[in-house]
Amino acid sequence: MLMLLIPSLLFLIAVFALPLIRYGWLSFHADSVMTGLIAIPNQGANWQRFIHDSRYWQDLLQTLRFALVSVTAEVILGLAIALILNQPLRKRALIRSSSLIPWALPTTVMALGWRWIFNTPYGPVDRLVQSGLGHSLNALGEPSLAWITTVYADVWKTTPFVALILLAGLQTIPSDLYEAAKLEGAGPWICLRRITIPLLLPYLGLALMFRLAQAFGVFDLVQVMTGGGPASSTESIALYAYWNAMRFLDFGYSATIMIASFVILSSLIAIAWFVISMARKRSVGALAE
Amino acid sequence: MKPGRIVIVILLIWSLGPLAWQLYTSFCTDQALVMPFASHDQRWTLAHYQSVLTSNPPFTRYLFNSLFAGVLSTILTLLLAIPAGYCLSKLGKRSALVIKCLLIGCALFPYVLLFLALLEIARFLQLGNSLIALAIPYAALSQPLAVLLLASAFSDLPSELEDAARVEGLTILQRFRWILLPLISPAIASTAILVFLFSWNEYPIALTWISDSDKLTLPVAMARIAGSSIHSVPYGPYAAATVIGSIPLILLVMIFQKPIVSGLTTGAVKG
Repeated sequence: MLMLLIPSLLFLIAVFALPLIRYGWLSFHADSVMTGLIAIPNQGANWQRFIHDSRYWQDLLQTLRFALVSVTAEVILGLAIALILNQPLRKRALIRSSSLIPWALPTTVMALGWRWIFNTPYGPVDRLVQSGLGHSLNALGEPSLAWITTVYADVWKTTPFVALILLAGLQTIPSDLYEAAKLEGAGPWICLRRITIPLLLPYLGLALMFRLAQAFGVFDLVQVMTGGGPASSTESIALYAYWNAMRFLDFGYSATIMIASFVILSSLIAIAWFVISMARKRSVGALAE
Repeated sequence: MKPGRIVIVILLIWSLGPLAWQLYTSFCTDQALVMPFASHDQRWTLAHYQSVLTSNPPFTRYLFNSLFAGVLSTILTLLLAIPAGYCLSKLGKRSALVIKCLLIGCALFPYVLLFLALLEIARFLQLGNSLIALAIPYAALSQPLAVLLLASAFSDLPSELEDAARVEGLTILQRFRWILLPLISPAIASTAILVFLFSWNEYPIALTWISDSDKLTLPVAMARIAGSSIHSVPYGPYAAATVIGSIPLILLVMIFQKPIVSGLTTGAVKG
């Protein structure tokens, strides 16, 4: 009986466990074009370099900024959309498909599309700004703006998806709860805070965790849309690890970045998990009162 | 208009607007793109489509490659995940919970961080530049979602059903063939379509495993058009490529939106 699980687990181990072990091992070795791509132990030199690598820490902050801003926007917008769509609607199939399309398209396809849309001076966004403000926006050339365009592209792709998940959650809330609350004289705002949000917390928590983890690994979008630029202002840690391996051919250091990022992400997820489950406990307690 | 209606219209514009812009771009001549408000002898053109479809290799090649890798990964994923899901649904509560947590952990992991080790494996086993080999990491990365979805479908079946079949003397293979698989076919359909979408869209692994230009999958081919320069992207042909590349996916989503949504939401509920 257990035999049936084994092939699947073997695949999982080969793809998840082996790489992490390999990274751990590689991170204590020099393995680059300088060593002829042969791994030579280097007594933690990778880690010393890593700790003082300001570019990595800069990228980590940028990645976290990207993840937090885009996921917050996605969850708030997604919740608003889900609340409005949680009514009997005609043409539900059409709405569903059209919200799934951005999510289903390959990221790289629209990443270049966004480059064209935010293009200076020929893209529609820049044309609008030019006719409004009289000067060019240069959205992709300006470090303070470029990261916002990547956030926008991510929000475009994922908000409808988050809305769908939350909509499924909303449909599990029994409607008599709202009727009872209405009889007690509760307005829509109180209903939202006391019924909807607490009962939706598992879904919100799940959407948050998944989206944060995915956004932390953002790669396709920035690689194609901005190439990490301008001036590394949109570079993510995954992209930095990719440059180290594929451009600088320094596998040892790339592995160090990835194992370190894995540890950082795991601790962030553990913290997020803790906070969410505390919030859930509190709301369950409040519901019981 | 009711607020619901307005939101739907905004949602449609939001989701489809950028795609519509690509569609518009793909039919515009280069002059019309640079100066949209001036009058032109020729505003509309099919030249971008022509250049995309007659390039070497033609763009349809990438569609075919992605289709091939996607179908193969889906089959491999299901072959692994159906038995695993069945087994998981029969395990005791405790051990099932441990495995489920493990699977959720894997599903959360941003797999792009694995690309270097996977590339080393590919080099070691000489799996590079093969669309068939690409199905191996894709099937492996799809296991968490596939096993969780299928296990929840299996455990929703009443256990009396299988017991009765067992009493009738059906072997496990016969039970699968005649009873279990037909009953969980909706879950299989959801899983298959989600895995197919994942493989069709996957970028970092395809990018590092495949370098032959006639074996590229669609996302990598798209990114290659961008080239290394930020300033000289051929936006017209690129927009045409976007449109051609999006059509199969848009059809897929329209036809299969029900299993996709049910797969995603069961994933969310049971997770």
